[in-house]
Amino acid sequence: MTLLRKPWAWAWIAAVAVYAVTIAATAGASAAGLAQAAFTFAAFSVIVGLGQMFVITLGPGNVDLSIPATMTLAGTVALKFMDGADDRAVAGLAVALGIGAGVGLLNYALIKALRIPPIIATLALSFIVQSTAIWTNRGIRIKPPESLAAFSTGNLWGIPNLAIVAGLLTLAAWVLLERSAWGRRVTAIGQSPAAARRAGIAVDGVRLSTYVLCATLAGLCGFLLSCFSGGAALNMGAEYLLISIAVVVIGGSSVAGGNSNVPGIWGAALFLFLVVSMLNTYGFGAGPRMILTGIIIIAVILAASLRGRGAEGG
Amino acid sequence: MTRPTLSAAALGSALAAALSAAALPALADTSDKRIALSNNYAGNSWRQAMLTSWETVTKPAVEAGIVAAADAFTTGENSATEQAAQIQNLILEGYDAIVLNAASPTAINGAVKEACDAGIIVVSFDGIVTEPCAWRIAVDFREMGRVQVEYLAGRLPEGGNLLEIRGLAGVFVDDEISAGIHAGVEQFPQFKIVGSVHGDWAQDVAQRAVAGILPSLPEIAGVVTQGGDGYGAAQAFAAAGRPMPIIVMGNRQDELQWWKEQKDANGYETMSVSIAPGVSTLAFWVAQQILDGREVPKDLVVPFLTITQDTLEANLETTPVGGVANVEYTLEDAVAVIEGAN
Repeated sequence: MTLLRKPWAWAWIAAVAVYAVTIAATAGASAAGLAQAAFTFAAFSVIVGLGQMFVITLGPGNVDLSIPATMTLAGTVALKFMDGADDRAVAGLAVALGIGAGVGLLNYALIKALRIPPIIATLALSFIVQSTAIWTNRGIRIKPPESLAAFSTGNLWGIPNLAIVAGLLTLAAWVLLERSAWGRRVTAIGQSPAAARRAGIAVDGVRLSTYVLCATLAGLCGFLLSCFSGGAALNMGAEYLLISIAVVVIGGSSVAGGNSNVPGIWGAALFLFLVVSMLNTYGFGAGPRMILTGIIIIAVILAASLRGRGAEGG
Repeated sequence: MTRPTLSAAALGSALAAALSAAALPALADTSDKRIALSNNYAGNSWRQAMLTSWETVTKPAVEAGIVAAADAFTTGENSATEQAAQIQNLILEGYDAIVLNAASPTAINGAVKEACDAGIIVVSFDGIVTEPCAWRIAVDFREMGRVQVEYLAGRLPEGGNLLEIRGLAGVFVDDEISAGIHAGVEQFPQFKIVGSVHGDWAQDVAQRAVAGILPSLPEIAGVVTQGGDGYGAAQAFAAAGRPMPIIVMGNRQDELQWWKEQKDANGYETMSVSIAPGVSTLAFWVAQQILDGREVPKDLVVPFLTITQDTLEANLETTPVGGVANVEYTLEDAVAVIEGAN
């Protein structure tokens, strides 16, 4: 089975297994509803996960911890800017993306100019960004324009619109990573920055664009999430820091960088949503639920890495 | 030292305030006393409203010369060590009273004890401390859970299935409200909790969690909540195309707004209960009263702010967009709470 040797296969197997167990609780009656919910919420994880994946691919120490704060700032400012007016929807999206890109630029400015490690730089900046979000809106929840709210909660032939957006982005990310010169450069830097530099790759330019891409996707995710949930909230990005890293790792990408894959992110995002649904459905308390979530995640990563090693040996 | 000079006008208004408070025994003068607010977190709408209320009430009080200062301090992260350090700073700065919303009921007891030993009055509220030398203005969270089931029992005498949305796992408040809800279900056994999810008091987290469990649940008659999660739950029910159950709300503006829309559209009926963020101003007046020499019991209880079908419009009108329904307490309210506990 060559499919099983793919590093992303295990996240998908786990997602399908957990899905089957969950709908078994209702003898299949919940199949359609659960799948729709899973694809909707996985879409958010996928969007931030794709950005984080490119950053992690850059190699050891590269991670963007400012994703939650960027989501919050982009969501709050964009909604405040649109103020519920349908004709400002496109401009609002531009505002969110612009904020994301700006945060990405600042992130890399700190990393490069001040020589601060990415973990510290992005964390420090996230405090500033989060405080700016608090300062700009004081916790005010402004409703999204009607058209955007309808779009983000709607679906096309049963497929949630958000899942379609995330799917298109995934396709673009796959082309970028696997088929474009830029993606090859990102991977090359992750494998050896020194070798990449000698090979004539503009390392700084590639790293800068990666951080900007990641933060822009975070801005987009914040925008969509605040339209979806009827307004931006100051704590709305909090969950997505861990999720963005988890979907990359569970999806079978190397946490040390230099070796990433795109399909695994979808498998992992679906899996992470479904595993909580499964344990909720079977009525586990918060304590056992978190322990079981941890154990299941470790098991999936272990299965993927053992299988990967076996494949290399064979 | 910045010692405010007492103008006749300030004295007069202080006197008037004291007199209006049902002829309180003003044993000591508090016009030269300085009160600090130590707050551990500001990252949600409730806390933002809490800080705004503090400013709204204390500023006129300072201008009227009732107290010399009422400064608010917030630590950046929700961290007990940082708050302990902040309290030590406040001791050094020579405040006469510290009003405290604590990051932990026990972890800053050391710093609180230091403050008491330095002769400083410490009044904790909402997030209370267990250090015996401090005053506690606590919320009866169990009762807040129980009244929800009691209300549902009034609305649905036949009972039915309940979905419980809990708060943040591992936090004291979450355990207490949930215990109250389960006590309520024991009291009204016609109800059965068929599902329980953690919504972290955030609409989007609640929406996500409810959407995940809803497909596998039978018909739901009521949703019991902890506040900040009712609107998310409603959206999840609407998205799944399920009949809308009675969702108990938690006084957030988005929840009240949604309730109003439903009420106008189809006569939707529910109730909403939470604690007003203005409880910080209650703590302010209690601290002022203690400084004034009044005997105040160490344990006080915060009144609930309950919104019913009839008071919905009035409350919605006064609640800022994105905020929480609020009341700011007066000196008289504080005296009433103190006397209620005696």
